[in-house]
Amino acid sequence: MSFEPKILGIACNWCTYTGADLAGTTRLEYPQNVRVVRVMCSSRINPSFIFRAFQLGADGVLVGGCHPGDCHYNTGNLYARRRLATAKKILEFAGIEPGRFRVEWISASEGNKFAEVVEEFTNQIKNLGPQMKLKIQEP
Amino acid sequence: MLKKIVIDEISQLTAVLMEMGTLIAPVKEISGHNFMEIADPGQVDLDFYNTIMSPKSAFFPQKEDFVRYKTAEKLSAAETVLLDTKPVFLFGVRPCDVKSFQIMDIHFNHAGIIDPYWHHRRESTTIFGYAFDLDKPVDPADFYNTLGISASDPEGSDIFMVKKEKELLLKSITHKGEKLLAQLSALTSATSGDEQYYEEYLQRGKDYKTRFTSVDPEAIALELEDVFENTDFWKEISSACLSCGVCTFVCPTCYCFDICDDTLFSKGTRRRVWDACMFTDFTLEASGHNPRTQVYQRLRQKFCHKYSFHIRKYGVISCVGCGRCTRSCPVNIDIFAFVNIATRAKWYQRL
Amino acid sequence: MIRFKQIEERLKKEAKILLESGEVTVVLAYGKGYDEKHPMPYAAKKIADVEDLVFNEYCNHNMARYLVRYPQGTKIAIAVKAADSRAVVQLIQEEKVKRDDLVLLGIPIHGMKDPRTGEVIDGKTTCGMYTPVLYDVLLNDDVHGHKISPYDVLAKYEAMDKDERWEFWKKELDKCIRCYACRKACPMCYCDPCFIDQSKPKWADKAPQSPGNMMYHLTRFHHLAGRCVDCGECSRACPVNIPLYLFHKKVAKECEEMFHQKAGMSIEDKPVLIDFRVEDSDKILE
Repeated sequence: MSFEPKILGIACNWCTYTGADLAGTTRLEYPQNVRVVRVMCSSRINPSFIFRAFQLGADGVLVGGCHPGDCHYNTGNLYARRRLATAKKILEFAGIEPGRFRVEWISASEGNKFAEVVEEFTNQIKNLGPQMKLKIQEP
Repeated sequence: MLKKIVIDEISQLTAVLMEMGTLIAPVKEISGHNFMEIADPGQVDLDFYNTIMSPKSAFFPQKEDFVRYKTAEKLSAAETVLLDTKPVFLFGVRPCDVKSFQIMDIHFNHAGIIDPYWHHRRESTTIFGYAFDLDKPVDPADFYNTLGISASDPEGSDIFMVKKEKELLLKSITHKGEKLLAQLSALTSATSGDEQYYEEYLQRGKDYKTRFTSVDPEAIALELEDVFENTDFWKEISSACLSCGVCTFVCPTCYCFDICDDTLFSKGTRRRVWDACMFTDFTLEASGHNPRTQVYQRLRQKFCHKYSFHIRKYGVISCVGCGRCTRSCPVNIDIFAFVNIATRAKWYQRL
Repeated sequence: MIRFKQIEERLKKEAKILLESGEVTVVLAYGKGYDEKHPMPYAAKKIADVEDLVFNEYCNHNMARYLVRYPQGTKIAIAVKAADSRAVVQLIQEEKVKRDDLVLLGIPIHGMKDPRTGEVIDGKTTCGMYTPVLYDVLLNDDVHGHKISPYDVLAKYEAMDKDERWEFWKKELDKCIRCYACRKACPMCYCDPCFIDQSKPKWADKAPQSPGNMMYHLTRFHHLAGRCVDCGECSRACPVNIPLYLFHKKVAKECEEMFHQKAGMSIEDKPVLIDFRVEDSDKILE
């Protein structure tokens, strides 16, 4: 059986989640590996969620938010951009493959983009293989 | 029985011990020496003053799993983690640390409640005590002699080791030690000159002075009780304290622990881990109330537990003067010197 | 010629003046420890305490960590070296202390030593600056030269292959005994409760083994991003010698490159992660 990655997707309610809905209503096909969690804004994301996700067995983490400048709450994603960029640098220096964590700005009308990003990211994770470094093996 | 071995050939002895069971001995690391389960007989290094972490983890490990369970199943289906039944050899323990095991026995191994894990490990371990090197200067942080433990005190060890130039003399102290020593063919018999050297060494050890001339535990206990309510005093001496927890973790006679259930999805382990009264949330109650939120309250608790309450309750001071707390403290707090100040230096003077 | 004795004399003089005039109620500096190589942090409150003040090459402690213990509004004089002054500036940025409540006794110095190794402390394990960035009084002449970039030491680790780096950090962080000395020694770790103490949610377990250790340290590195002033105290406090300063330096370097701001340099700055610029580029997410 080929490797089916487990990917945690965190999508902001106003843009990315709506975009994902659009991908669904327009019957676009994309891999089923991304398990989406909805947050009100990308700035809700505590970088510890990312680290914890990898510990709990996620092979990849995909974060989606509104385009900078278009945040429903004006400035949320501007803070999130800085915060998540720092988290990415930390994972990289710790030795985790940089391709495992990605941040994308996907608006509510970009159903196509959502499907494309999910497809591309899932393939990328499939190539990287299962994430074993941070994964907790035994409690 | 007295036997000996050339120190450079110690790996012959350690190899034999490794075959007979589990060997725990000092190993050199970047930060200093520490006791470890030996995988390679050549790893053992006896060229040290004392280890950073105390050897209490041989009997009371920092993490100890008790029960493994699955959340969907009945409690009765949980499996108990079985203890290793192999004999254990704890090699190279300084006299103050050997004494600490006896103090810890009060809590884990005496009538009333016996901790089966501690008890089992104590029974299956043979302790190779190791006298301090009397030709080297004493560490300024130590005061074991002042507490009645000499630098070459064989009490509590099963086999006691003394350095003689390039050789190591090993003497059996208990019946367990004698039986083991007889089996170890890697050792050679000692000469009568060695016997004399050993006896003299034990005598010399009694005169190997550490700081502070003498200590009267009852007097300290009384004084600390007197000064307990003096908040200003405690605030003053705790002004540098970070309340981190290092002193507790390196101390051979600290024994607080926490039991936690670590569950990951449907599998979990109930385990015991070390805890420290210096941690901010040590006394955090389920209601949210915490009686010791200030650093001075926690520091006062630590001092008074070890130097007052313990003496009142068990008649023994909860300290062996190994000096680890002082050496490892990030802000160089000298715990016993503070006890000194607290008790107004009436009963002992600094050397 | 480093004149530690002269700095000590000037420190005592300034402290006496400040306490006598009532301008401050406490002077945070250094006092005698159990021997020469192990001075202790000391808070002088009475004029008689001033005599016990000490300054020598082992006075490495970052006194800024004690500032948050005093109620807001307490007038405090604090002896600061370069990184310590940056920590004070950072605390002012984060509104934990007010500039007006502090008198900074700056000590420009190069030649501080680590008591564990006897080595001179320089940019390899610290911020590489030797003159305080903020001060009211200087207790020594300005120190010139000795410029060494604080990030040079990272080159070796950045050049490593990611798997090699993972092995390195796993080995180092497995040594951690979860004593939390690093957290307590850090001037910026003042959160009560700290995330690691929380049980709802439980971020990591208490056992000193890999998963909990990783979670604790990686999260701590993130919580200090853009706030760490590279004083190196965390690594000096660690009883098992984990080179935490390496990771903190890397995060500080990345934050400097991404956001063009260094931690604790000016009291007018805002900490980088509670700020944004519209011109922040998406490139930082690559």
